[in-house]
Amino acid sequence: MLKDFFLLAAQSILHRRMRSWLTVIGVFIGITAVVALISIGLGLNRTINEQVSQVFGVDTFILLAEDPFGSRGHDRSSEEYALDLDLLRSIDGVKVVAALRERTGFVVGPPGPDGKAKQGFLTVMGLSPELLSDFSSFTGPLEVDPPGRMFSPDETDAAVLGSGIAERLGADLGDEITIAGDGDVELAMRVVGIMAAPDEAEGSKRGFGMGEGGPDADTVYVPYAAMERLWGEADDVLLTLARVEKGYDVDEVASRVEEELNARGADLTAVTYSDISDAIGTMTSTVSAFLAGIAGIALLVGAVGVMNTMFTSVLERTREIGVMKAVGAKNVHILLIFLIESGMMGLVGGIVGTGLGLGLSAVASAFIGRFFGVQMAVVASPGLILITLAGSFLLGAFAGLWPARRAAKLTPVEALRYE
Amino acid sequence: MPLLDLKGVTKEYRLGKVIVRALRGLDLAIEPGEIVAIMGPSGSGKSTLMHILGALDLPTGGTALIDGEDLAGLKEGELVRLRGRRIGFVFQTFNLILTMSAQRNVELPMIFQGVKRSERARRAAELLGKVGLAERRAHKPNELSGGERQRVAIARALANDPEIILADEPTGNLDSESGSQILELLKRLSEEDGKTVIIVTHDPDAASIADRIVRLKDGRVAAGPTGGDRDA
Repeated sequence: MLKDFFLLAAQSILHRRMRSWLTVIGVFIGITAVVALISIGLGLNRTINEQVSQVFGVDTFILLAEDPFGSRGHDRSSEEYALDLDLLRSIDGVKVVAALRERTGFVVGPPGPDGKAKQGFLTVMGLSPELLSDFSSFTGPLEVDPPGRMFSPDETDAAVLGSGIAERLGADLGDEITIAGDGDVELAMRVVGIMAAPDEAEGSKRGFGMGEGGPDADTVYVPYAAMERLWGEADDVLLTLARVEKGYDVDEVASRVEEELNARGADLTAVTYSDISDAIGTMTSTVSAFLAGIAGIALLVGAVGVMNTMFTSVLERTREIGVMKAVGAKNVHILLIFLIESGMMGLVGGIVGTGLGLGLSAVASAFIGRFFGVQMAVVASPGLILITLAGSFLLGAFAGLWPARRAAKLTPVEALRYE
Repeated sequence: MPLLDLKGVTKEYRLGKVIVRALRGLDLAIEPGEIVAIMGPSGSGKSTLMHILGALDLPTGGTALIDGEDLAGLKEGELVRLRGRRIGFVFQTFNLILTMSAQRNVELPMIFQGVKRSERARRAAELLGKVGLAERRAHKPNELSGGERQRVAIARALANDPEIILADEPTGNLDSESGSQILELLKRLSEEDGKTVIIVTHDPDAASIADRIVRLKDGRVAAGPTGGDRDA
């Protein structure tokens, strides 16, 4: 019987083709907007997560001096901190750690042709050897112009110069520079590499451990151990990375690390992949919810259109309703016929809207992806499509509920008398 | 026992602020298999009577029995079933559903009774054959002549094999030739299938096939000749 009602509804819709299409257009505009926005939102979220997990790795956490998302309300002027790396290494579950220290130091270049050396205060950055061996995704393209090289993990007296610095110090491969540390400490370092000049087009591939400007042309890179020899353990750690042992839960280890370090007087936050992902998720879902809410208004307008069409349809077919009742239709039959009719208009709107919405989302994704230089995922899960289609049928049926009830409640005599 | 038995039936309804007394104590008994013509001037209560006989409406006073059962005592669902299974309606304006083929129009009452698709199709085809429209099953109402439409309507009225056929001015919108074909058909239903046929009409020709003519005046059965010509 239900199948026949679907057929009846379809016939009626096709009979009033023009009006039905206009009604359907009203529905699919809203659906298109909602589907496109949700799909773009999900795609954006997934893409960002992918990017983050690529760089970050799901088994890694970062130690930062401040709660990066501000939920703790710190009031610290400095983002740097002191850290005992050996203590961190000793915590159960921590496999490998690496840290990055930064400091301004007095640097003397090699003697020039006139015998005078150029010198000045420069940014000196100390890299843990593990940063290069285990966390290369963070360091980004620390590319050294051949035939130079990055210092190897076990070297302590080698330095790599930013391209700008090398020029200004007049230093070349194999030259010796001197960095002055605390007190009388002075270290002679051999220049083993000079950074490639930053490439603008490669900007987006930069690891986020390296700060705003990427491999800085004005920085002197030295081994972490050299930093310790120059300045000891000091309040100049920019960030620390730790990877956990296989089989350990990174969030669990991270919170244990945070606890143990803070119990010894540090004030650090361990940020894991899931923290970042949650923060991004909250942000993107808030934005998409807001946009979807606006699109929902379009949907509401579409629903009112369906309601209007159905009222007209009920009015036009009053006599037909009377005949159906006279030949044995129950109220619930009439109700169903009209609900199915309005539901089908919703469904057709849903089908068209989903198609257009996904298309729009694909176009937008390609556009956004191109703009930010990433491959953006287009999310079109069967679940989303199914929910949208079911939802659009229900939207139509719901919009038709009132008119359908009115039709069902007509008395046969009234309905038959209607001219 | 009469199939339809009305005793002292009154029907009042409001039309704006006026109360219209359409039936004012009407008595009428109709036996199974009879052809009864109900005649009377406009406003005499013909349509109201038709609605009550068809269980489309309930009397305000008096009793209306169908097969011994009081309509007033039936629930809405039972009234619907009564209309669906025991009564077939034929209207002056045919009231076919324009978006459906003749075949589907005849199937419609069976859909509401939950008859299986194959059985429905078979029966509809059979009935359309019976009214002489076997060839025009796939046509939509607006592709059929008036007489053909009314024959489709009669086939529809027969769909659930009801005992009672209620025809409201069945020839009112037809030329005389089509009209007489329709009347012939209705007569055959009574004679061959034993249907009780009640025709509400102005048409003397329509009245001529009746076993009995009931004349209404001011909401009552008027005194006068009520004999038909079946035995004549």
